Amino acid sequence: MDAKQDMKNDDARPFLGFGLGLRTEHYQHVIKHKPQVDWFEIISENYMVPGGKPLANLDKIRADYPMVMHGVSMSIGSTDPLNTTYLNDLKTLINRVEPFWYSDHLCWTHAHSTNSHDLLPLPYNEDTINHLASRISQVQDFIGRPMLIENLSSYVTYNESVMSEWAFLNEIAKRSGCYILLDINNIFVSAHNHQVKPKDYIDRIDSKHVMQFHLAGHSYQGDMIIDTHDHDVCDPVWDLYQYALQRFGPVSTMIERDDNIPEFTELRKELAIAESIAAKTLSAEQLQIAGQPVLKGAA
Amino acid sequence: MSNLQTLQHGFIDYLLGNPSNIAQHIQSTPNLSADKRLNIYAYAYKARLKEAIGTDYEQLHSYLGDEQFDQLLERYIEKHPSKETSLRYYSINISTLLRDEKPFNNLPILAEIADIEAAFANSFDAADSTILTINDLATLPETAWETLSFELHSSLQLLSYNYNSFAVWKALSDEQTPPDTIEFETPETWLMWRDSQLITRYRPIVNEEATALSFARQGQSFPAICEALLDYFPEDDVPIKAITFLQTWIQEGLVSNLKY
Repeated sequence: MDAKQDMKNDDARPFLGFGLGLRTEHYQHVIKHKPQVDWFEIISENYMVPGGKPLANLDKIRADYPMVMHGVSMSIGSTDPLNTTYLNDLKTLINRVEPFWYSDHLCWTHAHSTNSHDLLPLPYNEDTINHLASRISQVQDFIGRPMLIENLSSYVTYNESVMSEWAFLNEIAKRSGCYILLDINNIFVSAHNHQVKPKDYIDRIDSKHVMQFHLAGHSYQGDMIIDTHDHDVCDPVWDLYQYALQRFGPVSTMIERDDNIPEFTELRKELAIAESIAAKTLSAEQLQIAGQPVLKGAA
Repeated sequence: MSNLQTLQHGFIDYLLGNPSNIAQHIQSTPNLSADKRLNIYAYAYKARLKEAIGTDYEQLHSYLGDEQFDQLLERYIEKHPSKETSLRYYSINISTLLRDEKPFNNLPILAEIADIEAAFANSFDAADSTILTINDLATLPETAWETLSFELHSSLQLLSYNYNSFAVWKALSDEQTPPDTIEFETPETWLMWRDSQLITRYRPIVNEEATALSFARQGQSFPAICEALLDYFPEDDVPIKAITFLQTWIQEGLVSNLKY
């Protein structure tokens, strides 16, 4: 694909503004202070429980904020059968939360009767594309809505891979009708670990499939970068974010922080950096939700 | 077996420390071999499971100390490749291991402390239920008592201990030095449940009340509960004792429904 042919913004892409990952540590702050955040992303599995505080807090916060749902356990790339119990629970939660969309990862987590509880990479080839496109279609048919698939941070490349990750992801989106959750940090991490240029990834992802951005921090471990989500977003990832905004236009953006979680106000300040980069990069007209300006400043 | 399935089984075997040829399928680079790259995942697998168990059993960790707790984690992870979709349920067999295996079963209180922590987790996210009030009891028609039975809150747990495990657990949670272990002559029963404010409550419970509550939980009728209490009280006292228990349960938010 010629990247330049696809440089225009896709006007059909809904833009939610700037969000944060909802974390247990911030429940009380969010419920009490109702800070200005355009939306929250929840980890679906945290609420796939019978009842109690997780769901009660979720309902309270959902009453005040739009949400999207992000899963880690669908194991869409596994050769095991799809987990119907999981999918039923996911559908139940989707009906409860009424999110703008739901997402999971371009990975497998469970196989050989064992759950790795990790996002394990796939070989990028035609057989895997067929396998994933078929399974994503089954999930979308069952849920009744298209899903988003997120690119991983990865540390290995299979000998069986015959194409780039971006070509693999584009093809899956094209064949299954799913959308792409583009994790800017994961692009940076994987590009470093596999010695490719992160901007090449951004340039070659098919814009019309991109629905959301993730931003996060990472850690160095020797020559490798590990996707730890326990640090602030670093400057090179902010630069890549700006590059992605130039490439794709306004895309709903959120910061994922899963460990070493700071006070909510600190995380909100970090989100303000994303807002300020967007304000510098995009026009005021582009930064609107339903005709209203998105950027209202941190609470 | 498809090529993808072969790769995935080999990858899982590598994570579990089993013989695996997955490294032959992974590209090495000048700065990092296939094995070192794969080892990032193997390290993360174990670290993630250890973190999950550590979160579930904080007081057991305090009681055992870092070294022995890590010994427990290593043993558990080796014996229990995760079958769970959610990490929330990965550690559910910890108390079984503590009961069954040396050296842990030399200290039987360890399994009981683990049971207490698991019970808190179960209470925390048990299914929501309606909670009745005394008024629901007061407005019952008189004939209802002949067949009255109860649905109890799904968070309700009756926990039986042979040791002063609750006192040890409480001291550990308050960051106090735990008392010496005491073995009871007869087991002590505790009641744990989640109240209307979603707070987990607990209290010791006498045998009479534990019997009545067990009968109620089994769906036995109020007259059957009264009959069971004849083992503990004179016949004339039984109805008032049973009503008192029932009122307490309702005030504590244990009763979800009355059926008659």
